[in-house]
Amino acid sequence: MIDAAPAAAGFDRALRARGIAAGTRRTLTFAEVLRVLPPTTTRELYWRARVAMLPSIDDLDAFHAAFVEFWGALDDAGALHRLVRMVGEQRPPRDAPKREAIPPPPSDRAADERSAESAPTRWIVASREESLRDRPFEELDDSERAAMLRLIDRIRIAGEVRASRRRRVHAHGDRFDFRGTLRGAARTAGELLVRRATRRRTRLRPLIFLLDVSGSMAPFARALVQYARVTAIARPRVRAFAFATRLTDLGPWLKRASDEHLMAAIGAAVHDYGGGTRIGAALRSFNERYAQRGIARGGTVVVLSDGWERDDAGLLGREMARLRKLTRRIVWVNPHKRHAAYEPLARGMAAALPYLDAFLSGHSLRTLEAVADAIEGRTA
Amino acid sequence: MSHPVAIDDLRQRLMQAGYVADDGLATALGCAVGLERAVLLEGDAGVGKTDAARALAAVYGASLLRLQCYEGLDLAAAAYDWNYGKQLLAIRAAEASHDRMPDLYADDFLIRRPLLAALGAERARGIVLLIDEIDRADDEFEAFLLEFLADFAISIPERGTIAAIHRPIVILTSNRTRDLHDALKRRCFYHWIGHPTVEREIEILRLHLPELSPALASDVARAAAALRARELRKPPGIAESIDWAQTLGLLGADRLDAAVFGPSLGSILKYPEDIDTARAAAGSIVAAARDEGAA
Repeated sequence: MIDAAPAAAGFDRALRARGIAAGTRRTLTFAEVLRVLPPTTTRELYWRARVAMLPSIDDLDAFHAAFVEFWGALDDAGALHRLVRMVGEQRPPRDAPKREAIPPPPSDRAADERSAESAPTRWIVASREESLRDRPFEELDDSERAAMLRLIDRIRIAGEVRASRRRRVHAHGDRFDFRGTLRGAARTAGELLVRRATRRRTRLRPLIFLLDVSGSMAPFARALVQYARVTAIARPRVRAFAFATRLTDLGPWLKRASDEHLMAAIGAAVHDYGGGTRIGAALRSFNERYAQRGIARGGTVVVLSDGWERDDAGLLGREMARLRKLTRRIVWVNPHKRHAAYEPLARGMAAALPYLDAFLSGHSLRTLEAVADAIEGRTA
Repeated sequence: MSHPVAIDDLRQRLMQAGYVADDGLATALGCAVGLERAVLLEGDAGVGKTDAARALAAVYGASLLRLQCYEGLDLAAAAYDWNYGKQLLAIRAAEASHDRMPDLYADDFLIRRPLLAALGAERARGIVLLIDEIDRADDEFEAFLLEFLADFAISIPERGTIAAIHRPIVILTSNRTRDLHDALKRRCFYHWIGHPTVEREIEILRLHLPELSPALASDVARAAAALRARELRKPPGIAESIDWAQTLGLLGADRLDAAVFGPSLGSILKYPEDIDTARAAAGSIVAAARDEGAA
């Protein structure tokens, strides 16, 4: 009987170094697999490792890299020898590569300094709230922008609900609850005295932000990212994506406190800086990779963009039609709309217009509040 | 309890049961059987996730219990329920005849839904439990499954805990309409079923449609691969290519050619835009299918 735990633990470390958090449970499972179904070829070893340790198909590339690094290439017979030797010697495996340094969390002292800095200015923020409310985001200076971002935190969290298929006990429910009634009857010597009923629970509909982060839209995108973040922290089923030349899921970073990773993810969407926006292509990848699988079904999609399409506006129109069928409501935010003389002349904007439920400017705090209303289907 | 399973042997037996599994899938299923742990199969619609469970049940002569997930799936539908009407009748009958009150929570009144039924296997590997499209269920149900998959036991307040003597083979499938909780995934072996290679697809087509001519099977597999290489809304899965081959057989074709390609597309592509795309490229797809088929 061989004890494969050290081998499994070492491979777990190699995975971790590549950013895959397989976890202890999977590692124990893998060790058990090695013990019960000992592999005889590297190929067998590979598949055993993969079914036990790979958390998701999205991690496949990193998994390959870690496997090759730790066990050797797929057709390298040496990998198995390494396993056997390791198990035989009962020794931790060779050095896994060092992890990337994780920046230390800000110390308390830094936090104190920050609050000391902001404390005396707080009354200024309060007093200038009104003046800030109607100022377009792109005209704000740095301190005003910081104040604006804090004010966004106070905008109402939008959320629309629908009836869930789940039920809960309710005094005025609309469906008779057999089980509850019968159990209640146990207390009254079997007499059915109290009628119990259930009613449907409610469930929040999905809310999705698609944000154009190309150069000219940046100040507005920053404001909407902030709103998306506050919303995502406050309620479930919120997703945000950034696009310029390609679509990036802001996913895991949206809810974290640090801006650093979020901004890096946004930066990744601007692959070709200043190269214009490919709205149609971004929408298509959103539709194909996310909406069609169901994440937006029955929900609201908020698109921020000026509608300047670099490519074919026909593609944008087709993808909007498709998005329309996959969602309940589409709200388009275009900061140019604030100008009285604005007409949707940009070809992309004209192509998208027939599919919108609401078309708003969202260029200032006040208009951003209107976006919150539009998400719930209310018009100002 | 663990029982070693020979993976290659399992693959052979799956083949006899009409299912072509590649290395990865055979390993995943073999590990699940050997270590009595659940396996999570992910993949696009129509790549054969559900069929894998069916074939595995056939291999072990096990009965297949299928639980189709949907939002709002609760314990009453998934695990167990009480037969309330029968309970009430029993109370009234006992009253009328002045008998002792019967045990209202005896087996007679218990309705066993798939999860509870799966705990009742009379021999090892006697039951395959398929929890289909787990991504359609909601978080609450996933949380319940955690307990079920950890202990293979269900607690019924009125009865206590019912545990499995022989653990069922559990297969979960997901279309990835949402991400599952990692806590659930950690408890499972994981395999992503991708689209098959041309050779494997030919093998599958011939296994499913024994009367299909080898030339047509090869044409269909290559054409399906050519279709998948294009930008389509929904690339065809195996289920669709089997349908297509069957349709072509019905149309009396013995090779894929331009005359049958267009009219039969509705059986492999399910979006008008995709059909238009395929029609526009009909010449090159048919040529790709036949050229390589001949070579």
